Amino acid sequence: MDELTGVFVQESREQLAEMEAGLLALEANPEETSDINAIFRAAHTIKGGAGVVECSYLESFTHKVENLLDQLRDGRLSPSEMRINLLLDCADHIGLLLDALEQGETTLSTSVIDADTRLRERLEQESAPSVASASPASPPPEAVAPVGENAPDIWYISVRFGEDVLRHGMDPIAFLRFLTTLGDIRELQTLADTMPPAEQMDPEACYLGFEICLETSAGKPEIEAVFDFVRDECELHILPPHSRSEDYIALINALPDDERPLLGEMLLRAGALTESELLIGLNSQELAKAYTDNSPPIGAILVEHKSVRPEVVEAAIQRQSAIQQAQQQTAPAPRVIEHEEVSAQIEPVASPPAVVADGEHHPAPAKARAASSEARMLRVQAEKLDRLIDLVGELVIAGASATELARQSGATQLVEATSLLSRLVEDIRDSALQLRMVQIGETFNRFNRVVRDVSHELGKDIGLVIRGGETELDKSLIEKVGDPLMHLVRNAMDHGIESQEKRQAAGKPARGRIELNAYHDSSSVVIEVSDDGGGLPYDKILAKAVAQGLVPANQSLTDEEIAALIFRPGFSTADRVSNLSGRGVGLDVVARNIQALRGTVEIKSKPGQGSRFVIRLPLTLAIIDGFLTAVGKNYFIVPLDTVVECIELPTHCDREYLNLRGEVLPFLRLRDEFELEGEPSTRQSVVVVQYAGHKVGLVVDRLHGEFQTVIKPLGPLFRHLRGIGGSTILGSGEVGLILDVPLLARRASRREARSFEPAPRAHKH
Amino acid sequence: MGQTHQDAAANLSATQQFLTFSLSGEMFGVGILTVKEIIEYGEVTEIPMVPAFICGVINLRGAVVPVIDLAARFGNTPTIPSRRTCIIILEIRHEDSTQTLGVLVDSVSAVLDIPTSEIEPPPAFGARIRADFIVGMGKVDGHFVILLDIERVLSVDEIATLASLGESDTSEAVSASLN
Repeated sequence: MDELTGVFVQESREQLAEMEAGLLALEANPEETSDINAIFRAAHTIKGGAGVVECSYLESFTHKVENLLDQLRDGRLSPSEMRINLLLDCADHIGLLLDALEQGETTLSTSVIDADTRLRERLEQESAPSVASASPASPPPEAVAPVGENAPDIWYISVRFGEDVLRHGMDPIAFLRFLTTLGDIRELQTLADTMPPAEQMDPEACYLGFEICLETSAGKPEIEAVFDFVRDECELHILPPHSRSEDYIALINALPDDERPLLGEMLLRAGALTESELLIGLNSQELAKAYTDNSPPIGAILVEHKSVRPEVVEAAIQRQSAIQQAQQQTAPAPRVIEHEEVSAQIEPVASPPAVVADGEHHPAPAKARAASSEARMLRVQAEKLDRLIDLVGELVIAGASATELARQSGATQLVEATSLLSRLVEDIRDSALQLRMVQIGETFNRFNRVVRDVSHELGKDIGLVIRGGETELDKSLIEKVGDPLMHLVRNAMDHGIESQEKRQAAGKPARGRIELNAYHDSSSVVIEVSDDGGGLPYDKILAKAVAQGLVPANQSLTDEEIAALIFRPGFSTADRVSNLSGRGVGLDVVARNIQALRGTVEIKSKPGQGSRFVIRLPLTLAIIDGFLTAVGKNYFIVPLDTVVECIELPTHCDREYLNLRGEVLPFLRLRDEFELEGEPSTRQSVVVVQYAGHKVGLVVDRLHGEFQTVIKPLGPLFRHLRGIGGSTILGSGEVGLILDVPLLARRASRREARSFEPAPRAHKH
Repeated sequence: MGQTHQDAAANLSATQQFLTFSLSGEMFGVGILTVKEIIEYGEVTEIPMVPAFICGVINLRGAVVPVIDLAARFGNTPTIPSRRTCIIILEIRHEDSTQTLGVLVDSVSAVLDIPTSEIEPPPAFGARIRADFIVGMGKVDGHFVILLDIERVLSVDEIATLASLGESDTSEAVSASLN
C-alpha cells in the first residue's frame, strides 16, 4: 500500500466516524439539518479520496450513498429510521471496503460483494425518485428547495486544469462526469491551446481546459464543490447566469446595515461569491500591492477574475456606500476619510470611491478562518513526542540546577533571569506532556453506536449516559482500553439489564441505563461501566461455579469473592449462548487485558439495583499535582487530591491510630512500612489522606508542600510492587517515589489481619 | 534471554569485544553491544520492599533507571560503594522493547578483543555463580575472564518474580487472584 492510500484510509476512517456520529445525532433529532450536511460532507470526502487513490468500488458505492444523502439534505426525503439504519449499514460497509483497500486486495471477497449488491439495491429503492439520472423532461420536485435556487439556469464554467492534475491521480473527465450529477451540460468546448508541440509534450502533464455551459438549479457553492479536489491546481471561473444577477442584487440590497460593510463579505453573504474565490481575489490584491504601490479594488479584481458579474459588484458597492453614508451622518468617523484617500487612485469599476479599499481589511479574518480549519490537526509520530518529552525532562533538571547555582551566587539579576527561565521551562514541560494526553470522550462516543445496535438486537430499550469524557489519559492506554470496555458494555447490556417486563415489575423505568464514566483518582485513572440492571446473582454464580468445578462445594465465600469468580476463564452464567456473550469468553479476557496494563478491575453490585465495573488504570505518563514529603533522605509524593490535611504526630502515641476530632484515624509509619534507615525526627507529621471513603494517616519526617509531579513509570522490573505507583524526578535531580495510598493501606490491613489469625487458613484455590 | 550456550557461543564471530570489570576481586566481561554507557556511582534512590540485589533507581538524564547490585545478584555480600565504583548502563531486550538497567560493579577495566578460539565453555561448577549466567570463559594473558550471559543475569521476568516474592499474598486484590 502506498503512502497516499495509507493516508486516505486513515482519514476516511475519521470521516466515517464523523458520518456515524452525524447519523446517530440525526436519529435523535431528525430536524437538525446541520447533521445531514456533516454526513454528506464526510461521504463526499471519502468518495473524492477514493477517486484519487483509484479505488473504484469504494468510489461508486459512496456515490450511491451520497445520492440518498443528497435527497435527505434537500428535504426531498425525510430521515426515517429505516433510512438511517440503511445509512449506518452503508457506513459499516464502507469500513469493510476500506479494510479491503488497506490490505491491498484487488478483488473483493464474495461476502463483501454480496453485501455490496444488497446495499446498493436498498439504496436504489430508498432513493427511488432518483434525481441524478432525471432527464430535463421530468424535473425533480422543487417545492422544498430554497427560493431563488429552484429554476434551472445556464451557468458558464471555465476551468483550466493545472499541469500536475494527472500526476496527482486526478482525471479531468471524472470532474465533468460529476458535474452532470448537478445538471445537464449544454455545451462543452475543450481548450487545448496550451498544448505544446508534440516533441515537447509531457505525456504525464495535463494541458486541457474546458468551457462548459451547465444547466442546473444548483447554487454557486455546490458547483464549486465539484472541483474541490483540484481547486488549488486549476483556474476555475464560475459565471452565474444573468437571471441570477437580479437575485444577487436583490439579496445585497436586503442585507442589514452592518457596522462596517466589507465588499467581499457582502457578496459572500448574497451567495454571489464563494469563500475561495474571495481568498484568491484578496491574495492577488495583496500581490499587486506588493509589486506596485497602488492596489486595485477588490471589486475590480473579482470582475477581472470572472468571479462575479460587474453589475452585481456595482450593486454591492452602491449598497455599501449607502450604509456608510448613513453611518457617517450619525457618527463622522475619521476612518472614512482614509478610505477616500486610498480609493482616489483607482477606478476601474465605475462606483462611488469610498468603498473599495475596505477589501484590504478583509484578508485577515478570511485567511484566519481558512488557516484555523487546516491547522486543527497535525499527525506526529509518537516516538518523536517521547523524544521531546525526554529532552524536556532533562531541560527541567538542568534548569533546576542552574537556578540553584544562581541562588548560591547571590547575583540578583542572575537569580531573576533563571527564575524566569525555569518558569518558561515548566510551561514547556506541561505543554509537551499534554501532547500525549488524549481525552477519553472519543472512545466513549463510539459506544453510542454499540449500545444502539445491541439494544435493537436484544429487543431492550437501553440508553447510554457518558460522563467524564474530558478525562485525559495517555494515548497508548486509550488504544488498549477499547476492547475491554466493549466486552463490559456488551456484558452489561446482555446480562445486566433485565427485560422490559421484569424492569416494570420491579418498579424501574422501562428504559435501561448504561453509564460510562471516567475520572482521575489519586494516581490512577478510573473508568466505570455501570448499569441499573438486576445486579450480580450471587447464589446463581456460586452454584454455577460449583457445578463447573471452579470452587469446592462446601466453600463459603464472601460476596466479593463470588464476584471475582466471573472473571475466571470459562465461567458463564448464561443459560443460553447468545450472539453477544454467554460463551464464557469475555470477562476473563477483560481481566487479562486490564492486568496487562497494570490495572485492576473491581465489581460493585447491589441486587436489584445494578452493578458497576470499576477499572483502575495507572497513569503511565501523566502529570499530577503531588504533595512532597520526606522520610530521612527518601522523598515520597502523595497525590494531592487524596490529601485532606496535615497534622503533627503527638509525641506519646503508642497505638497506630489517632483521635482526629473524635474520629479514629489509623496511620502508617512510612519509615517502618518501608524499613528505611535512620532515626525518626523529633517532630513527625501525619498526612491525612482519603481514598474510597476511608481516611488513613501517613507518618513522615518532613513536609515539603505541593509539587507538580511528572510520573515516570518504574518499568517492568517493579511491576509487582504494590504501594508505589511510580517515580518522579525532583528539581534537584533526585528521584522521588509516588505512593499508591489505597494499595498501601490494603497491604497494611491485610498484614495485620493475618497476624491475628489463630492458624493458617486453608488455601481456597 | 532464551539463548543456549551453544547458540551464544556460535554467535561469537572471530573476535568479539567485551567490556571487562572487576567484582569481588574477580574479572567479568559483558558483550560490548549491550553496553550503553558507564557512569560514576552517584546517589541511588532506594526502593522499599524489594530484594537486596536491587539497589534502587537513578536519574539518568531524565529517565528513571533501576540499578542492580551484581555481587548481590550472584549471592555474594552486597557491594560497598568506593571511589572506583561504577554503574554500567546496559540495554536488555525484554519482550518487544528494550529495558535500560544499570549494574553496580567495583571497577571498570577495559574493552578487550577476545578471539573465539580463546573462549572456553563454562565449567559445570566452581565459578561460584550460576552456570547458566555464563556464556564462556575468556582467556586473557593467562587469566580467565568470566563472560556473562547478561540477558539471563538481568532477566526482567526473573527479577520481577523475585521482587514479588516478599509481596505474594493469596488473598491479593481481585486482579491478582485471577491468574
